[in-house]
Amino acid sequence: MRRLLKWFLPEDDLRAFESEQSELHDARRVRDGERPAARGRRADRRSLVMRLAADRLRGSGPAPTPGDGRRAGATDRLGQIARDLRHSTRSLLRTPGLAITIVLTVGLGLGATTAMVSLIRAVVVSPLPYRDPDRLVLVRTQDGDNLFNLSVADYQALDAQQTSFTAVAASQQVSVTVAINGVVERQRARVVTPSYFPLLGLAPIAGRLLVPSDQHAGGRAVVLNAPYWRTRFGGDPGVIGAAVTIDGAPHDVVGVLAQTNGPLEQDIALFEVADWPTPQRKGPFFLTVLASVRTSVPRQVAAAELAAIDRRMFPIWQSSYQDDRATWAMVDLKSRIVGTAGEPLWLVCAGVAGVLLIACVNAASLLVARTLQRRRELAVRVALGASRGQIVRSLLSESTVLVGAAATLATAVALGAVRVVTAFGAGYIPRIDEVRVAGPALWWLAGLTSLCVVVIGVLPAWSGSSLGRGAGLDVGGRTMSEGPAGKRTRRMLVAAEFAVATPLVIAAALIIASLDRLLHVDVGMDRQHVITASISLPAAQYPAAAARGFWERTRASLAAEPGVSDVAFADSRPPVDANNINNFDLEDRPTQPGDHQPVCPWIAVTQEFFKTTGLALVHGRLFDQRDFASTAPPVILVDRAWARRFFGTDDAVGRRLHEGGCAACPWTTVIGEVATVKYLGLETPDDGTVYQPIDDSERDRFVLVSSTGPASILGPTLGAAVHALDPNLAVSRIATIDDLASASIATPRYLSVLVGAFALTALLLSVVGIYGVMAHFVTRHARDIGIRLALGGAPDRVGRMVVASGLKVVLAGVSVGLVTALFFTRWMASVLFGVAPTDVPTFVGVPTVMILVAVMACLLPARRAAQVDPAAILRDG
Amino acid sequence: MAPGALQPFELQVLLAALRLGDEAYSVPIVIELEKHAGRRVSQAAVFIAIRRLETRGLVTTRLDDRGTETGRVRRYVRLTPEAKRLLRETRDLQARLWHGLDRLLDRG
Repeated sequence: MRRLLKWFLPEDDLRAFESEQSELHDARRVRDGERPAARGRRADRRSLVMRLAADRLRGSGPAPTPGDGRRAGATDRLGQIARDLRHSTRSLLRTPGLAITIVLTVGLGLGATTAMVSLIRAVVVSPLPYRDPDRLVLVRTQDGDNLFNLSVADYQALDAQQTSFTAVAASQQVSVTVAINGVVERQRARVVTPSYFPLLGLAPIAGRLLVPSDQHAGGRAVVLNAPYWRTRFGGDPGVIGAAVTIDGAPHDVVGVLAQTNGPLEQDIALFEVADWPTPQRKGPFFLTVLASVRTSVPRQVAAAELAAIDRRMFPIWQSSYQDDRATWAMVDLKSRIVGTAGEPLWLVCAGVAGVLLIACVNAASLLVARTLQRRRELAVRVALGASRGQIVRSLLSESTVLVGAAATLATAVALGAVRVVTAFGAGYIPRIDEVRVAGPALWWLAGLTSLCVVVIGVLPAWSGSSLGRGAGLDVGGRTMSEGPAGKRTRRMLVAAEFAVATPLVIAAALIIASLDRLLHVDVGMDRQHVITASISLPAAQYPAAAARGFWERTRASLAAEPGVSDVAFADSRPPVDANNINNFDLEDRPTQPGDHQPVCPWIAVTQEFFKTTGLALVHGRLFDQRDFASTAPPVILVDRAWARRFFGTDDAVGRRLHEGGCAACPWTTVIGEVATVKYLGLETPDDGTVYQPIDDSERDRFVLVSSTGPASILGPTLGAAVHALDPNLAVSRIATIDDLASASIATPRYLSVLVGAFALTALLLSVVGIYGVMAHFVTRHARDIGIRLALGGAPDRVGRMVVASGLKVVLAGVSVGLVTALFFTRWMASVLFGVAPTDVPTFVGVPTVMILVAVMACLLPARRAAQVDPAAILRDG
Repeated sequence: MAPGALQPFELQVLLAALRLGDEAYSVPIVIELEKHAGRRVSQAAVFIAIRRLETRGLVTTRLDDRGTETGRVRRYVRLTPEAKRLLRETRDLQARLWHGLDRLLDRG
C-alpha cells in the first residue's frame, strides 16, 4: 500500500504522509499505554530515505513547489514520464522471460525489415551514382522481343548523326590476361570510347582519363580502376606512365579512376581505350552503347531520331544485314541494371515485414495477458485515484521500454544483416556496393519503431483501462478470470498471427517447390564427370596457326593425363554460358514479310565434344574431320528441342537454312540430331540449340574434360597442363557441370532459404501464440473444468473441448490467410519455376500442416485440462 | 453507486473531520475512527480517501510544514459547504430509512 501511495501522491502529500505516519505511530503507543518511540535522528533518517525514494521515483531534481508556473508543470510532466519509464523497466525486469521474448522477436523483425528497406532503397529506389542518372539510357537493337547490342558500324553512325543526346559512348566488357612483373592473371576489363567517362560524370584520382587522341595512338592507353590500383599496385601514384602487358601487348597506364560505387565499374580492373577497326559489314553486335538524353528533348523525340538513323543506315549495309524489322530502342539504364532483382527483394521484404507484424501481434498478445493478470494491481491503482489516463500512460510506457530495447537490438541486427547480405549477395544482387544502413534507413527504423509502440501498446493499454473501476477488488485472486472482452482480444490477436503466417508459409512452400523443380531439371549432360575451364589466347602471341597448334597440344597433353577419358573444346558451356545467339531463315519455312527470324543458341564445338559430354546422337551423323575443313560446305547439328520446334515429328536431318539471315551465303545443312542441353538457364524452356564446327583459330574457348572418376579432382591437373604449355596463360572459371548448374540457381536457393526462414519464424511465433492462449485458457478455467469433471464430464471430452476452442481461432486465421495468399502469390509468378502461383497441393497442404501443428500445440493444455483433479480444485475453492 | 453518493469509508472520514474541526488531519482522524470502530484503520486509506474527497470538492486541505526543520509536516483538512450539505442529505436519508426499523431490528 505504501509503495502504491508513493506512486500516486505528489511530493508534498508524500512528505505529509511520512511525517504523519510517524506521528500516528507515537499517538497509538501513547494511547495503548506505551512510551513514544525516540524521535529525532531516527525519524529524520526515515524522512530522508522516504524523500530520496520519492525523488528517485519522480526522476531527478528537487520536487516542484506550488506557483512555479508553466515550467514547473512541464518539469512535472517530464518527471512523471521518467517515473513511468523507470517503473515500467523495473516491472518488466521482474518478468525477464516475457521481456526477452518480446525484445528478441520484435528486435529481429525490426532489424531485418530495416536491412531490407536499406537494400531495396539502394538497389531499386535510389538513382544510379552517375551524372544525370535519370537521363541515362542504353541504345539497343530491337528485333521483335529480342534486344541486343549495337555494332561498331551502328555506333559510328549514331555518334555522327544524333542530336538528341548530350553524348553517346560505347563499351565492351572483355576478359584480358594481364602480366605485371612476371605475374599473369585474368582480369575483367572494359574497352571504352573516350566519351564514356564524361558521359557518366566520372573523374580520375591520379593522372588523367582517356582522350580522343588515345584512340589514334594504337589503343595503348589504359586507365586503372581504383580497387585494382590499390590491391595490385598498393595505391602507388607512380604507376602513371608505367607499362603493363595486356593480352601480350604493351600498354601505358595514363590514369586511375576515382573510387565509385557505380554498378558499371564493379569488378572491372582496368579500362582500355577503344580502337575498333573500320567495319566491313554491319555486325557483329557486341557494343554496349550508353547515351544521355538532352534535358530539352522529350524521350519520344529521341526515340524517333534513333529509329530514323537506323532506317538511313539500312540500305548501306543491306548486303550483310537484311532484317528490316529490326530497329533501335532506348532502355532506361537503371531498369536494365536492376533487372528483375527488385521482385525477389520485395518478396523477402514482405516476408520480413510479415514476421515483424506477427512479432508485434505476439508481443501485444503477451502484454494483454500480462495486463489481465495484473488486473488486481490496476484496480488498486484506480481505487487509489489513478485516472484512466495514468493507467494508459503507465501501460504504454511498458511497450515503449520494450520497443526501445528492441530498436537498439534492431540497429545492430540491421547493420549485421546488411554486412552479411553484401558479403554473400554480391553475385546475385546488383548495386550491392551502394547498400548502407544510414540516414533514411535510420529514419525508417525510427518511424517503424513508433508504429510498433502503437501496435504493441494500444491493445494492452485499452484492455487495461477498460477494467471496471474497482471491479478487480471485488473478486478474489483465485477465481478472478479475464473478462469476455479480454479473451476475445487475445484470440483475435492469435487469429491475426495465423492470418499473416499463412501467406508467408505458402510463399515459402511455393519457392521451395520451385527450387526443387529447378534442382531436378536435366542439364542434358553428365554433371559429375565433366569439368570445364576458360582459356583465352592473347592475339599478339597467337596468330591463327599458333592458336590451332596450341589447342591441339593442349588436347593431347590433357588426354595423356591419368583419369582423363576425353577432351573437347567449345565456345559455350551449359547451363548459362551461351556465347552466341544467332538468327536464321529456314528453307522449308521461310520467314514471312513482317515476321522476325527465329533465334537460338549457336554453339561452336570440336569433333570430340559429343563423346566428351556424353551427348547421344538421335538421328543422322555427328561431325567428322571433313566438316572442319575451311572449304567444307557449312553443316550443323541440331538438338531434339530444335527439331521438335520447327519440324514436329518430321525428320530435321537434311533440312537447310541461311545462318544469320544472310541470303547471299551458301545454305547450311542439318546433318544430325542430338539430345537436348540447356544453354540459356535451367528455368528457360527448351527452344532448341544448334551446334556448328568450331573455327580452329578461335582464341577464346572452354575446354571440356571428361573423367573416369569424379571430375572435380581434375581441376589442378587442368591448370597445370595448360601452364606447362604456356606459363603466361591464365586458366579461369574451372568448374564441373554440376558446379555450374548449382551456381546458376544460386538466386532461387538464396531466396528459398531466406523466405523459408521467415516463414518458419512466423509459424513458430503463431504456434507459440496459440499455445499461450490455450494454456492461459486452461489455467483460468481450471475451476470450471474441475466442476465439469466432478459432475461426471468425461476427461476426453474436456480435452476435445480445449482443442476445438483453439482450433476455431486457428481456422479463422488460416482462412483469412488463404484469401490473402491468393492475392499475394500472384505477384510471385516471376520468381517461380514449374509451380503455379495458385498451386493446389500447396494451398491445401500448407493450411493442413499448419492446422495440425496448431492442434499439437493445443494438445498439451488439453491434456492438462483432462487431468485436472476435481477434488483438489473443489476443496481449494 | 450514484455519482454524488459517499462511500461508507469516505462518510466516516468526513464525520471524523467534522468532529475534529480545525485540528483535523490524518492522525486524529485515524485515532477517532479506531476509537469508534474498535479496530485498526489504515492511515494510507485515510490519506487516499482525503485525496478523493478533495478531488470531488468535498474537502480543502492545507499543508503545514512549519515543522520541516524537525521533520514534522501535516496536511490539515476542512469540510467544504458542499460536504456539509451532502452529510445533511445522507443523514436525513438514513433517518428516513431507519424510521420505525429499530423495533423490528431489536426484536431479533
